Amino acid sequence: MVKLKLMYSGLVVRSGRPVKEGPPDLFAALADPVRRVLLERLAPGELSVTELGEGLAVSQAAVSQHLRLLREVGLVEVRQDGRFRRYRLRTERFAELRTWLDELERFWTQRLDALGDYLERDS
Amino acid sequence: MRADITVVAVYPHPRARVWQALVSAEALSAWLMPTDFRPVVGHGFTFRTTPRPGFDGVVRCRVLEISEPDRMVWSWLGGPVDTTVTFTLAELGPSSTRLRFEQTGFHGLGAQFARLILTRGWKKMAAVGLPAHLDRQA
Repeated sequence: MVKLKLMYSGLVVRSGRPVKEGPPDLFAALADPVRRVLLERLAPGELSVTELGEGLAVSQAAVSQHLRLLREVGLVEVRQDGRFRRYRLRTERFAELRTWLDELERFWTQRLDALGDYLERDS
Repeated sequence: MRADITVVAVYPHPRARVWQALVSAEALSAWLMPTDFRPVVGHGFTFRTTPRPGFDGVVRCRVLEISEPDRMVWSWLGGPVDTTVTFTLAELGPSSTRLRFEQTGFHGLGAQFARLILTRGWKKMAAVGLPAHLDRQA
């Protein structure tokens, strides 16, 4: 059961809020197709709002809105560069997600091993 | 659709026997977590474990599909995780069964995407970020 503690500790404990209130969680943030495009564009490096919104069928205001949300959940950060605000990914947040998923995968691997033991025992 | 989590295991047992261990509350309670599962489509059931802050220790599930002898699907809701889990059995021989476990959902493949981005982000950092950083230091 120790593994299960681990698998749920990352996202919930750190955010410490009810599931339905407050800023949306990481997975919800990643679910939106526009935000996925923005994140994908940021994968190679920093970009401005204008660059991020190029060719997208949404207004710059909408892009800014998405970026605000991504900042709130910590997937993206911004810095002032002269007249421009430049956005970039916070890879440590993605790393956190990955760790959490790896824990979940480990949990299921262990459980399926336990199923093997169970089958041996009861045959 | 690619699953967010896939685990495959092969058991030296007949498929019917592995299937029984998937659809019996007693067996599930032994190898997975204590549960009041019943093999009835639409049946709501729970798994119980140690509560944590933000997680009451209860995984709430529902049977979405049971296709004996090889496929079962549950919804799986616990803490921040609102997903679907699927068990699929393949008969490799009279006494050899492959179990494929998949967990999908995580709000529309967000998890898979997180992995993808991370990989690209890291590749890019390794390819451009670090050398550029070293150049600046030089």
